[in-house]
Formats: sequence, C-alpha cells, structure tokens
Amino acid sequence: MLEFFEEFPEMSRGDLRDFKKVIDSAFRSFSRTYGESIENFFDPVLWFLIWFEKLLLNTPWPIIILVVAGLCYLGARSWKLSIGSLLTFALIGYLGMWEDTMSTMALISVATILCIAIGIPLGVWMARSDRVQALVMPILDVMQTIPIFVYLLPVLMLLGIGKVPGLIAVCVYAMPPIVRLTNLGIRLVDKGVLEAADAFGADKKQKLLGVQIPLALPNIFAGINQTIMMALAMVVIASMIGVRGLGIPVLQAIQNQYLALGLMNGLAIVALAIIFDRVLQGYGKRLQKDREVKKNG
Amino acid sequence: MKKISLSIFIFYIFFFLLSFKAIASNCEFQMADMNWPSATLMANVDKFILEEGYDCKIELVPGATTATFITMNEKGKPHVAPELWTNAIAGLLHKALEEGRLFSAIKGPITELGEGWWITPHTLKNYPEFKTVLDILERPDLFPAKEDKSKGAFIGCPAGWGCQLANQSLFIAFEMEKKGWVLVDPGSQAGLDGSMSKAAERGDNWFGYYWSPTSLIGKYNMKLMDFGVPFAGSKNWDDCIAKGPEGCIEPKPSAWTESIVQTVVTSEIKEMTEVMNYFGKRIFPGSIMNSMLVYMEENQSQGADGAIEFLEKYPEIWINWITLEAAKKIKKAL
Repeated sequence: MLEFFEEFPEMSRGDLRDFKKVIDSAFRSFSRTYGESIENFFDPVLWFLIWFEKLLLNTPWPIIILVVAGLCYLGARSWKLSIGSLLTFALIGYLGMWEDTMSTMALISVATILCIAIGIPLGVWMARSDRVQALVMPILDVMQTIPIFVYLLPVLMLLGIGKVPGLIAVCVYAMPPIVRLTNLGIRLVDKGVLEAADAFGADKKQKLLGVQIPLALPNIFAGINQTIMMALAMVVIASMIGVRGLGIPVLQAIQNQYLALGLMNGLAIVALAIIFDRVLQGYGKRLQKDREVKKNG
Repeated sequence: MKKISLSIFIFYIFFFLLSFKAIASNCEFQMADMNWPSATLMANVDKFILEEGYDCKIELVPGATTATFITMNEKGKPHVAPELWTNAIAGLLHKALEEGRLFSAIKGPITELGEGWWITPHTLKNYPEFKTVLDILERPDLFPAKEDKSKGAFIGCPAGWGCQLANQSLFIAFEMEKKGWVLVDPGSQAGLDGSMSKAAERGDNWFGYYWSPTSLIGKYNMKLMDFGVPFAGSKNWDDCIAKGPEGCIEPKPSAWTESIVQTVVTSEIKEMTEVMNYFGKRIFPGSIMNSMLVYMEENQSQGADGAIEFLEKYPEIWINWITLEAAKKIKKAL
C-alpha cells in the first residue's frame, strides 16, 4: 500500500515503448499515403513564394530601393522614414547581404499577409462567439508555447525541407498575437456605442465594419506589430529547415562564433522588422486620424 | 575546531580505504561515454566485457570529443576514449602520441565508417548503372529540386558545420552547377535527417551528404557512393577543399578525406596487457554497428541495454576479441 504512494504508478516500460511506436508508425503510414497529395495541396503557395522571391531578386536593386521608399511614404507619409529605409537598404546591399535580405523579405511579406488575412477574421469570429473563443484560445496557447521542432519534425516528414515548412513554422508562431488582439479589441468596444449603433438601425455588418473594427484599430495594429516582430524572429528557425535568407549566415555565425557576421545579419533582420512595422503602424495611425477628423467635422 | 579536525580525520580514513580498494583490483579505470549513440554502445560493450570477463572495474564518465581529449591529455582521466574521431584534433593528438602521454589502442574500431555522399537504396536498384558519383552527376533529372524542377538537388551539409565548406568546394570541383545541380542547404541536422527520411519513406530519389555509423543510414540501408576519383592528396583537401569556396579558388575533384577513428588510451592502460589485447582486436563491422543503432533507436534504449542486446545477438563477433576463459565468464554472465 505504501509503495503506491512512494512510486508513481506509471505505465510499464514495454507498454510505453509500444505506445510510442504505435504513434510513430501511424504517422509514418499517414505520411506515406497522403504525403504527396498534401504536398501538392501546398504547391500553389510554393509557386507564389518562388515567383515573389524571383521577382525581388531579378528586379534591379535601385528600383527595389525606390519602391520600398515609396511604399514607406505611401504608408506612413513620413519623409524621415522613407529616407531612413532608403539608407538602410543601401547599407544592407553595400555589406553584401542584398540577396539574403530579398529572400527573407519575400518569405516574411507572404507570411505577414497570410497571418493578417487569416488572423483578423478569426479574431472577429472569436469576439462574436464565446464558444469559438473557448475553443480557439487553447489552440493559440499551444501554437505559442509548443517547442518548434516538435511540430516541425512531422511537417518535415510530410513536406520535406524548404519554403513551405518554413512558412508554416513562421505562421504558427506569429499568428496568435493578431488573433488575440483583434478579439480583445472588439470585445473592449464600449457597449454604449454599440447600443447607439443599434438605435440608428445598423445591421450586423454595418456595426462590425463601421463601429467595432474602427474602434478596435489601436489593438489590431498592436497585434500586427507583434505578428511582424515574431515573424522576423522566426527567420533563423526557418533557415534551420532549409529556407534561404538572412537566417543561414546567422546559423553559420552561431556555429563558428563569427561575431561580426552574426551581428550584421541579425541587425539586417531587425532593420527589416522596423521598416515593415513603421510602415504599417503609420498607415494604421492615419486610418485612425481620418476617423477622428470625420467625427469632429 | 575539534569538529573540523575530526571530519578531516574521517576524510583521511575514507581516502585510505579508497586507495586501498584501488590497489586491491589492479584493473580499475574510467572510460569516456561519448554523447553519440555508436560511442555509448561501444563504451557499454567494453564495460560489460572487461568487467565480466577480465574482473576489471570500470566507471563510465560522460564525454565529448574535444573535452574528453583535453582532460585525458592533461589529467590522465578518463583513461580510455573508445571512439575518438581524431580529424578535428589531429595536430594535438599527434603531439600527445609523440610525447608518450596517450596511445592509440586500435585504429578503426568500426569498419566502413566515415563521411561521404549517399543515395537511397531503391535508386541504386532502379538504376544499376550508377557505379560512382560521376554516373549520378549525369542524371540531375532523377533528383528534381523542389523549388526548380529542372535542376537536380544535392543535399549538402547544414550551415555552419565544417563539412558545409567541403561540400561547397566539391560542388565546384565536380562542376555540378554546369551539370544542372543545385546545392541545397538543409539548415540543421533535423532538416538533413528529415529530407533523407522523407525521401526514403516515400520512395523518392535522394542524393546528399551523410555519415556513418548512424541509425538513419542503417534504418534505410542508404548506399555510400564511390566518388569515382581518387583522394587527391591531403594538401588539396586540407588547404583547399576544407576551406570552402572563399578560401580556395580551384579545388580538384577528390574522394572524401578518410575519417580517422581510434580507441585512445592513457599510459596507465598501456601497462595492462590483457586490456590492450582486447582493445587491439575489438573491431565492429560497420553493418552490424548500424543495425545495432537502428535497434537502439527503435526501442529507445540506452547504451547498457544496447550492449546486452549486441552481446546476446552477435557472439560470433565478440568471441574473436577475447580469450577463451573470458568468453566462458561472459556467456555465464549473460
């Protein structure tokens, strides 16, 4: 009887081993049967990623720099930011990181767009239904905390190394903040405002697009900021499964203790993150300002 | 004050007893249990055979190549490194051997080991005309790269590993780009393993860098390809191929440099004739080592379990390593 309390009544070693073996072999046969069709399913994503990377790599560099500076101005309406991004990209190119930076930019742009495109609708859906929220919240927790290679190993077995597993890794890790903050932002909208909208006879769609989302914008943009930062932080992990880009030289630097190489490429990742973020935040601020002007005027 | 002197006294007694015990058994030493599966299996086999067959007393201490070598060289402990890959520490080891601080008990305790370029076994079966790497290089169409199907994918070594530079150099030396190949960087060991096991499981063709003895090579029965060219001298390898494209402009095609693995012992062990005789004969055939690694991985077993499995399953191999008397004792212990 005392033994029961002293030793945890654990599964016998043989059973535990068989249990693990069953899971492993089940996954193996799944991957053998469906691997190819799953791979084909993701092919369009792969083609788009390759096309976009080639586009960035084959366009002459002055055009890319000008386009980036132009986008900065369009997004944030700030000369300072445009000139800053222009100088940053010139420096990145001068230090010999142009091609890696373009590869990383291609992956991160697609990942960010994908995260926002899936994350915001999911967040809205969560805000509208407590049941969906109860279901999605734990999934988001898993996505953010599970050690990355735990799910990357099965993904590698299914899809092989390359861009698509890299994209999946980035999105799994980077999507939760935008979902969470969209959900939170919409839930925080003042009940009184919603009642007023009801009183004016707004239907569900009008309430969502005209009241809830505009009022939730500060939170949503905080979510976008977090998503971008986390996506760029995942660049190195993506490189660990064969994605070209700034992560590869960082890995090289870590293995061999090349301080300068690591710092340069690491800072290039930071620069990309800051430019991406400032442009989108600037755009977000302008959206909110427009709204305020309309309200006051 | 009194307490302290008492404890010192007790300490001395312990110390005395301990040293006495050491004298009692004239075969008591430490072995390095290295942090990769084949070495830990070998250390455990040695421990079992020497303890049961030769009445030695062996303590296994965790180790890793450089750290173990340095403590062996400086402190004389652990006394034995069963599977030391000496390419990385060649210069230092040479010096230690010359000064008589360390000794090589056997060169090549595992056969057929080393690094190189491997392909999946079904590929070799479907294309029996593949005799060497040179034949494979003519057929990039059989190994389509994921991102550009018109090119053949050669899976190189993860970023930052020493072998990455050598693979990059050989990629240039064999003019693989011109022949329609791309060098894919798998990024990490997980990436390299994943790409190989995916291809082997799925029946795809795979061509890339790996090394043996490893459980993956044994599990999928991967085939090491002959390079089709001889080893082009250590000058070409050390001063050019190993430095990568930035340190070397014109690499010559070459077979992979030979990986030297030895069982290295300290001078204390050299005096033990029986133990040295055992080490001198103890050679694991590569195929059996690989199948043992597969067994250990599939059963998620530790070195000690693996050693017993090996001793039970392959007596015809270890019987040649030891004296008749020791063999009887070990069979009894099993």
